[in-house]
Amino acid sequence: MANVTFPFPFPSNLELMLPEIIIAVMAMAILLFDLFIPKEKKVISAWLAMATCAAAAVATLNVTSPEAMTTFYGFFVLDPFASFAKLLMLAATVFGIVLSLDYMKDEANTGEYYCLMLFALLGMMLMVSATNFITMYLGLELMALSIYVLVGYQRDVLRSSEAALKYFILGSLSSGMLLYGITFLYGVTGSFDFGQIGTALTTSDGSARTATLVGMIFVLAGMAFKVSVAPFHMWTPDAYEGAPTPVTAFMSVAPKVAGFVILMRVLVDAMPALQHEYTLMFTGMAVLTLAVGNIAAIAQRNIKRMLAYSTVGHVGFVLLGLIAATNDGYAGVLIYMTIYLFMTMGAFAIIILMRRDGIQGELLDDFAGMSKARPGYALAMGLMMFSLAGIPFLGGFWAKFAVIAAVIDAGHLTLGLIAILFSAVGVFYYIRVVKYIYFDEERVAFNFSDNVLMKATVALTSIVIVAIGVYPNPVMEFCRAALVGLI
Amino acid sequence: MELHNAIELHNVLGFPILSLSIFLPLAGAIFIWLFIKNANAVRWSTLLISVATFIVTLPLATQFDTTTAHMQFEEFHPWIEAFNINYQLGVDGISMPFIILTSLLTIICVISAWECIQSRVKEYMIAFLVLETTLIGVFSALDSILFYFFWEAMLIPMYLIIGIWGGKNRVYATLKFFLYTLAGSVLMLIALLAMYFKSGGTFSILALMDYPFDFEWQIWIWIAFFVAFAVKVPMWPVHTWLPDAHTEAPTAGSVILAGILLKMGAYGFLRFSLPITPDASQYFVPFMVVLSLVAIVYISLVAMMQTDMKRLIAYSSIAHMGFVTLGTFMFTQAAVEGAIINMISHGFVAAALFLCVGVMYDRLHTREIADYGGVVNVMPVFAAVMMVFAMANVALPGASSFVGEIMVLIGTFEADPSQMDISAKWIAIAATLSVVLSACYTLWMYKRVIMGDITKDSVKTMKDMSVREFSYFVPLIVLVLWMGFYPLPVLDVMHESVSHLIEQATTSKLDAAAALAGAAQEMAHH
Repeated sequence: MANVTFPFPFPSNLELMLPEIIIAVMAMAILLFDLFIPKEKKVISAWLAMATCAAAAVATLNVTSPEAMTTFYGFFVLDPFASFAKLLMLAATVFGIVLSLDYMKDEANTGEYYCLMLFALLGMMLMVSATNFITMYLGLELMALSIYVLVGYQRDVLRSSEAALKYFILGSLSSGMLLYGITFLYGVTGSFDFGQIGTALTTSDGSARTATLVGMIFVLAGMAFKVSVAPFHMWTPDAYEGAPTPVTAFMSVAPKVAGFVILMRVLVDAMPALQHEYTLMFTGMAVLTLAVGNIAAIAQRNIKRMLAYSTVGHVGFVLLGLIAATNDGYAGVLIYMTIYLFMTMGAFAIIILMRRDGIQGELLDDFAGMSKARPGYALAMGLMMFSLAGIPFLGGFWAKFAVIAAVIDAGHLTLGLIAILFSAVGVFYYIRVVKYIYFDEERVAFNFSDNVLMKATVALTSIVIVAIGVYPNPVMEFCRAALVGLI
Repeated sequence: MELHNAIELHNVLGFPILSLSIFLPLAGAIFIWLFIKNANAVRWSTLLISVATFIVTLPLATQFDTTTAHMQFEEFHPWIEAFNINYQLGVDGISMPFIILTSLLTIICVISAWECIQSRVKEYMIAFLVLETTLIGVFSALDSILFYFFWEAMLIPMYLIIGIWGGKNRVYATLKFFLYTLAGSVLMLIALLAMYFKSGGTFSILALMDYPFDFEWQIWIWIAFFVAFAVKVPMWPVHTWLPDAHTEAPTAGSVILAGILLKMGAYGFLRFSLPITPDASQYFVPFMVVLSLVAIVYISLVAMMQTDMKRLIAYSSIAHMGFVTLGTFMFTQAAVEGAIINMISHGFVAAALFLCVGVMYDRLHTREIADYGGVVNVMPVFAAVMMVFAMANVALPGASSFVGEIMVLIGTFEADPSQMDISAKWIAIAATLSVVLSACYTLWMYKRVIMGDITKDSVKTMKDMSVREFSYFVPLIVLVLWMGFYPLPVLDVMHESVSHLIEQATTSKLDAAAALAGAAQEMAHH
């Protein structure tokens, strides 16, 4: 027998990466296969992409075990925490694809649209399973590059190209900051591995304190950019407004989930010794984020821009969970992201469905009188808005409740107070949408697109939001159980 | 510290009657939403559901045990385990009357909207049924988060009711209403969370009543509660949303607003502030007295100057609620019972006055006092009905409001003067001004609208009330007079609960708090 020698042994338990492998292989296969699909049947690519996500979800459920397992020489970890995030992101991707079916009928006649989504998803899935800065950075860049292209997908629309370019330039800058910070941490500790960095910082004699802090600040700033934390949120409104609406929906959920999950890993594993410092940094940023998100949204007339600022506001709330730095806080982050997924997807589905005289409406004014023309959609949009505003019997209330309870429990009573006051400010622009829908008279006839899958999305998200609002116990328990691996 | 977890449920019926009262309207709303299309069918089925709900709530009164201050008809189910939040329901003599009041006024609202609401009838009726669910929920919740849940959820249907079916300035009014009350309420949520962690993990109102918070905590909690409840009551100077909301709301919206929503704030003081933070409540007595007296005197003067009938009644509501808050913070049996009687009575009287304005508005589509005059000549029956409620608003003996106001005044005279810088006597004397002032604005309005000769041609076209319109005044007249002449049954219901409340409110928690702190220090020492 020929003695084949690899420079390294073949990694064991590679099956832990099965979901990622499925997505990588299928993304490339769809890209190739797409060449042979006739132009009018391109929707097959979308179905294949959805099937891929479904297969990856099944694989994720199958390979997850109750405790953390690593593969690829410890570069990749699979634990319930990562799997939970992956399921959320898979769901976000499926929603993103469904929302694209109709919207991109003319544009996305090319399979690479759906492939780019899958690649972005792959990047995010790698990111949440990272145990070190290298894996994390690879995943992050794969995600970011795919999303830059998706934002600029409408090549002949000026706004879309401009958004993509802005996003790309600022995104590259933030990646640079992230890398710069990583080098400092590497310089101080001699490792890229979260756990080893954490140990080294905990046991350090404090001689390289300045370098450590610079490293921490740059790493966290780079990551803050990806999740739209103020003052690094500048790209968000432009990118959200310019991107095709389904991409806006996708990027307002999935990358945020990935970003926050990996942020939690970095904080818990690599920076426990810096908790005081990063809490300080995050507290300031959280207040700023809440202020910017909730106040700037009031001035918006375009609903996509408004929801962009609203996302910033919600990110401010999620930060509270990180500041709490307790089990409750981390569970709160997951609860928030879960509920946020459904609220956002539901709202965007309605925005995409709504057409007046065949033209997609994006201005708040375009919603005027929707309740008379389409009471069902109006009700769903109303529920989404009240839920985003955090009014009870809807899911959004419990999302806010979970993180505010955690941050108060951790002793930050003032921060909880500030957050809840800003949420009361933010209520204004959400209920203003309801005002347009219910109180104003219809001016131009509505003709909604009637895509069955999108209707199902609206129905599903509404039901989920009400169900979680009335009985949040299962979601809360599930998110707590999903912390295994983080803590 | 033993937490009250209601392991032994006091429920004589052995049947979840409170849950049924809460969710019957909601189930009805869903049924109407799904299955009923025709507007008339919607009206009839809503009426049927609201009557059924009223009948369901009646056993709460008939089976009520007046010999105990304990919660009754209790229910307990775990709801959110992570935060020890439970679906805990129960009523005592303070909350039970309000449930009956809610279910009764909802029927009246439905009948009053029969003809004047012509657009989007289905949504209107659904909104009222959902509103009824949240209101009954507020008065029967014994878990503070459940209370908050209903308290906030109530905003959604009310926002839509004012915004869709309101007058021409409705959008401004409803946004103001929503934001004002929400901004107040969020502070209550912070206070609840802070108490949860301080008390070692309970949201149960009954457990929080027993937990000894130290003085500084009590002060902060009291302030947070005060902001939430004062906006809702509303107390001067955070009352400005009410005249707008009342004026712009459709008639039935004003009825529910005046009849029930305002009572939620005062109920909050009775259920949370007094028993949970007794020392802070004592501390803030002068503050509350001043605000109440300003409401009684100054707002009465403001009411006198109004040219819009609904605005006038809205200001009169604020003045009457000043009486309620005054009575609440006197800590005497008579004053607190008087305050509650006043709340119930105001539920009848203000509701009826808004209905009267609604009757006139349906005919001439104006609420300006100057547009009427001599209505008695064309609508004699209506004039007689409105006379009863105008007199009741003045607190004429024989009307329910007289009982409430006289009890508050007596209770104020009796109050222990050592708590206050000025003698309680002077407070009572100042409050008595209200009786004079309310006579001024109510009777003056009545004179200008109803009496005299007809000077406007439009008034000549007015037709007297229909049977339907008369029908919803009948129960209100009966109740106002019954409570005016024979209030004993209602007083009996609340007597035990109120004396228990006063015992809680006058027992300082500070010794127990100090003991607890000492014990904790001891523990830390070992």
